[in-house]
Amino acid sequence: MKHRIQKKMYHVEILPPKQDTEKLEADLELFAEKYNRVMESVYCASITDNAMGNLAFQGTEIIEELGLEVNPEQVMIHLNTFHTKQDLHNILDICKSRGIKYLLIISGDGSDRLPRLQPSDVQVKGVVESVTSVELLKYIKDEYPDTFVLGAAFNPYEPPEHEFEKLQRKLKAGASFIITQPIIKKNDIVDELLEKYPDVPVIIEAWMSKKIHLLSDAVGYEIPEDTQFDPIETLKMLHKIYPACGVYLSLLGFKTQYHLIKETWI
Amino acid sequence: MKIVVCIKQVPATSEAKIDPETKRIVREGLKAIMNPFDIYAVEEGIQLRDKFGGEVIVLSMGPEKALLSLREAISLGADRAILLSDKAFGGSDTWATSYTLAKAIDKIGDVDLVICGKQAIDGDTAQVGPGIAAHLDWVQATYVMRVEDADSKSIKVKRMHEDGYDICEMDFPAVITVLKDINIPRVPTLKGCLASLKIEIPVWTHADIGAAIEKIGLDGSPTRVVKTAPPPPRNIITQRIEGSPQDCARQLVRELRIRSIL
Amino acid sequence: MIISDRTDKSKYSNVWVVAELLSGKIQPVTHELLGAARSLAAMRSSQVWAVVMGSGIAEQTHSLFAFGADKVIVVDDIRLSGFIDEIEASIMVRLIEKYKPEILIGAATARGRALIPRIAVKTNCGLTADCTELGIDPENGDLLQTRPAFGGNIMATIRCSNHRPQMATVRPRVMKALEPDFSRSGEIIRENVQDSDALKIKRIVEIFHSDQATVNLGDAQIIIAGGRGVKGPAGFEILRKFAAEVGGAVGASRAAVDAGWIPYSYQVGQTGQTVQTKVYIACGISGQIQHLVGMQSCEVIIAIDKNPDTPMMQIADIAVVGDLFEVIPEIITNLASN
Repeated sequence: MKHRIQKKMYHVEILPPKQDTEKLEADLELFAEKYNRVMESVYCASITDNAMGNLAFQGTEIIEELGLEVNPEQVMIHLNTFHTKQDLHNILDICKSRGIKYLLIISGDGSDRLPRLQPSDVQVKGVVESVTSVELLKYIKDEYPDTFVLGAAFNPYEPPEHEFEKLQRKLKAGASFIITQPIIKKNDIVDELLEKYPDVPVIIEAWMSKKIHLLSDAVGYEIPEDTQFDPIETLKMLHKIYPACGVYLSLLGFKTQYHLIKETWI
Repeated sequence: MKIVVCIKQVPATSEAKIDPETKRIVREGLKAIMNPFDIYAVEEGIQLRDKFGGEVIVLSMGPEKALLSLREAISLGADRAILLSDKAFGGSDTWATSYTLAKAIDKIGDVDLVICGKQAIDGDTAQVGPGIAAHLDWVQATYVMRVEDADSKSIKVKRMHEDGYDICEMDFPAVITVLKDINIPRVPTLKGCLASLKIEIPVWTHADIGAAIEKIGLDGSPTRVVKTAPPPPRNIITQRIEGSPQDCARQLVRELRIRSIL
Repeated sequence: MIISDRTDKSKYSNVWVVAELLSGKIQPVTHELLGAARSLAAMRSSQVWAVVMGSGIAEQTHSLFAFGADKVIVVDDIRLSGFIDEIEASIMVRLIEKYKPEILIGAATARGRALIPRIAVKTNCGLTADCTELGIDPENGDLLQTRPAFGGNIMATIRCSNHRPQMATVRPRVMKALEPDFSRSGEIIRENVQDSDALKIKRIVEIFHSDQATVNLGDAQIIIAGGRGVKGPAGFEILRKFAAEVGGAVGASRAAVDAGWIPYSYQVGQTGQTVQTKVYIACGISGQIQHLVGMQSCEVIIAIDKNPDTPMMQIADIAVVGDLFEVIPEIITNLASN
């Protein structure tokens, strides 16, 4: 992961089409267009897994169905705990056979329609009541040894003591890189993270939507709806503050912003 | 095993908003989804077919847009689907609905097992499943939480009651209605979805299924809705209790006593 | 049966209650239905009959008179010891043809919801599920059945003018039982199971009685429900203590069930149970729409949450702003000291 940060490779978030779309074929085309553009730019396509609990198709099945080219360095698949065991293995098996090696393992958001991995599915014994990213990380590491490079999420807006304790368990379970929640300025907890884990690659998430108020829930304080926010300027600032970190671009506008980011990481 | 799964398309409550005046849920303009309980019925049908062979046919009565829910069932793995759609079906109550579905099941022919969800989230009656069984004069098991076993002639299921469970065995043909406990439904795959877009779904009218016109739709429905009214709105003024935990507890307990709740 | 004219209609009289039995015992909901039947019978100047089907049940019939029955039909047969929908429906169809009741009400329980629809279809009758109000139209004597639809969003009043009997189911705890009068008695009519009732039936292989099998939240007066804010199984222990102190039952939101903190049978909401209790105390439940449809018809809603702005705190009658882990133990102390 380190070398990818040195190569200034952005992680560009791509959301797969939702299951309830009424224009599936058009959505797939758009997905392929974005994916291929990220490939051409030699960035990394970071494909979400039922983001916000919304039922969507899997990145792996789209890559298979559309026959998209996979460069192992340029694809990252998100994988959360809301799957049946069989689906989980389907996804992992496709990743393995197509050479997708970067996986971001998160607990994820559920919904009425999403099945959840049960402790028995991932061979957890004892007192664990539900499967979190920690159990999933360990399971994948055990079942697919030396196959994947696994990452974990870090939320600087949660009570730090608890969050650092969780992170420690994630790293112990097999995570070897970290992606943070979106940050929009210098963040003390992220500073602490970098200090505590100088050897673990950290990728910070940059919020690329102008609608900064949508972040209110994530950061835990109310951001007024009319707040002015310049994502590109903020991104440049984040590079200055955190030169050693990789950057994950969420909600990047492919039409309006994509051409602008070429020059931001210098 | 020839299995018919009956599904219903219902409004998606998850997208509803609360009316600030009445503090009740606004149901207008909602998206249509497959009744959540029916997804478990579809999954159970697919699992039984995968285990014992045969085919799964999904059946729905409704307007043309119900095709979307039928396609969803196909994308999950059902073999084929049939839509019952006809102006003459409009206004059906549970009696007429179960009659219509039963006639279609008759027309499909040689069906071993009919699976329904426990109830639909819009009507909440749980009457259509047993109604189908009654019209066909088949055996029935409702509130099924597990299929214990099956073969080409019979099925053994675990039913839930208020005081426990029982396990009962039924010879085919039979009708079961299933609870959410029965399985963990899969989510559709992209392959399945793309395939479901290509499949032809026949639309049957009352003439196609040989349904008697006096037994379907509003005319065939014994019940009539004579009046609908909003329920009394919820208490609009929310009484807020704040302060130290001790104060909150004291105030709440006092309030409960004043309202004769305790 | 389809009724073509008034003379036809006048052949049907009396209000029937189908007794609800669990583990061979008549359930309180039967008494509640008898209470409702009494007022309907008074308006129709007719009688209340109860029908009991079971095995070894003869001794229990006297309570039915005490709670308001004028006559009781008893079908006592070993074949009725388990719940075989097909036999019971077939018996009921015969009895209805023989005695012609005008109104028939049953319990909206797992069994009632299986049995009554089967009877309704077989007798060509309409049926209204989960009625919250039953009345008589003063103009023509029809039964007016009111029920919530769309998760309690609309109250619909329904009638079946051209069919007899008029059938309805009612959930437990919705109607009120009368004060029992054990000096009342009445006629007992014995009927048998006929072989034709048991032609095509299921075979019951095994019966398990279990209190924990199902959590019938509908039976509770007070529900203490927990959501994401309860944080884990330990949090539900606090709710259980609270529930024990007020004689209530514990419920949960989908989030808590999905997290594995409490079994699905406790779930309230669209894909769980719909409840209409007197009091609903939501602890750390934000109030997603799918949850609200399952409990918005409760009489008094109380919310306890740190966050004062959740939907639940908006719709609640009483919103307690505070940490449930601090407030609830104080409430328990407060209740215990009084």
